Amino acid sequence: MSGTGVVAAALRAQQAEAFHFCGHIYTTGSCPHPIGLPRIDRDGFPLRASDGHPVDDLGRLVDKLDRPVDAQGNLLRDPDGNPLPPAPRTRICEVAAREHGFRPYFDGSWYRCCGGHVRQLRDCCGYTRRRINGDAALTGYCYHGRHVFCVMYYDSKVKC
Amino acid sequence: MVGTVRAARHRALAGASFTAGLAVGAAAMFGALGLLGALLEPGRWFLIGAAVLAGVAVLADLAGLRVRPQVHFQVPEPWRRTMPLPRALFLYGLLLGTGLMTFVPAAAAWALLPLTVAAGFPGAIAVGLSFAAGRALPVLLMRDETALAERPQGLRALRVLAAASLVLALAAGEARAATRVVLRGGDPSAAGTDLVWQEPGIGGVLLRDGGQTRLPGSDPALGDTRIAWHVGPEVTIANSLNLQPVLQLAIPGVEKLAVSDTWLVYRVGLASGREQLRGFAFADPTHTIAISASQKRGTLGRPSLSADTVLYHVAGPGGSTLFLFDLATGKRIRLRSSTHSQLLNPDRVGSKLLYVRLSRCDQELRLGPLVGNGAGRLLYKLPPLAGQDAGHERGHTSQGEHLPCTRPPKPTSRMLWTTALSGTTAYVTVLRPGSGGAMTPSLLSISR
Repeated sequence: MSGTGVVAAALRAQQAEAFHFCGHIYTTGSCPHPIGLPRIDRDGFPLRASDGHPVDDLGRLVDKLDRPVDAQGNLLRDPDGNPLPPAPRTRICEVAAREHGFRPYFDGSWYRCCGGHVRQLRDCCGYTRRRINGDAALTGYCYHGRHVFCVMYYDSKVKC
Repeated sequence: MVGTVRAARHRALAGASFTAGLAVGAAAMFGALGLLGALLEPGRWFLIGAAVLAGVAVLADLAGLRVRPQVHFQVPEPWRRTMPLPRALFLYGLLLGTGLMTFVPAAAAWALLPLTVAAGFPGAIAVGLSFAAGRALPVLLMRDETALAERPQGLRALRVLAAASLVLALAAGEARAATRVVLRGGDPSAAGTDLVWQEPGIGGVLLRDGGQTRLPGSDPALGDTRIAWHVGPEVTIANSLNLQPVLQLAIPGVEKLAVSDTWLVYRVGLASGREQLRGFAFADPTHTIAISASQKRGTLGRPSLSADTVLYHVAGPGGSTLFLFDLATGKRIRLRSSTHSQLLNPDRVGSKLLYVRLSRCDQELRLGPLVGNGAGRLLYKLPPLAGQDAGHERGHTSQGEHLPCTRPPKPTSRMLWTTALSGTTAYVTVLRPGSGGAMTPSLLSISR
């Protein structure tokens, strides 16, 4: 078996073990995300999983300045032509921390090949004994006594 | 039951016990249905189904058709012999108040159950108490129930009465629902029974006594005995009764107006891309008060004015806040704020605050107390502006997924926007998407 074949077989095995999204092989639940699947950009802000379009906390599509836009990317304007007010756009780990009362930390991450691109899987860490599932939190990729509260992922543009 | 009440030594006590039992039983049963409705938030199709069922029940009662299904469980007859009569009557009332024990005399009784779920809480309690009153009155007023049994037309009359009550309840429910005031128009302002709004690209319209009058300007506002509009930078403040101008002045960049007997408040768009809320007293138009300012357009809402107080929102990436600014004292009060939903375009009448709340899972028009943290009463609701995905990727399990809304939302592109409040009616602009990101307004009214 060639080297490429070994890697491909290993990745297939990982995917087969994955839980609710590719690359996630443990049972910790997703961080609260306005659309559902916990896809984020490299800074931790929410993206729509289907196409990677940025969304605000209301789930609306937004432009680079976080202003709401329509499906074609046109800025949404009120009848007077003013842009509609932007809603908050919060890092989903911060949303989890705010809703569950802990201080968020981004400690470590791991990588898997998902859908032909390298996916970075990140733990939302905190000094918490409970995870979003409600049961005992795991250590995962968290350090200094912190535990994984919930998980999220960033799809890079690096092909694999 | 008539005979049992009349047989009691203290007939008034027996009647009161029976009525109290009915009230408690009906409040519990219908209240539970209302709570179920409040928890499940039945959608439009459930409401349509309940209304159709009610219509069928009305027709069945008017036609005198046999009522189906019937409940086989009957109230325990031995109670009237084994316990004090007032206690037995209270328990009988408790069971009969649920509407599901003993003979169901009208199809309307069945149709009332899904309507109660749709009514939600606490409206369902009122439905329950009305039902209890409807069940108690014949028992308390009739002398002999055998008369009813021997004269089917008496029962028929009761069924027609039940059908009429159901029609009235449906009509009342319809009156509570939102009705469209105008298809193309928004930014309402109300005073007494008068209403003004802005027709996009055309100008202001005044609705008075059912008749519409086109105003000679845009962005109209009503307050106390005054009405205001502007044509470009030229602002006119007029007597709202005869539309005769009492003050005219130029305000460069003026966009939105709010007026009262003593103040004019307005939003201006500045060339630098900023916007400001300002105001002045009619007694001294040269002295302008700065209310709020923003570095970006679209952050400050449309102001509303009530006596000396201005209400407005500030919405941005950090969250949204509803403010009250006292023009007389310069004091600012934060009424509501949120970092996870948008609170927009408040208006007030007295101690009541009307505002729009856009959250992840719905859009709401709420009427609540001016001060305090209570979210207030829901007057009107639209689905959220965005849907949600499956929560898990294709080919993966749902274990560990975390979805934002408890029920999958059916998103809408319509958005709740500006509001106005009168003593009896709440108004809200609904924006619909047009071409190129522009939004077209329509105006709804909802009975308070």
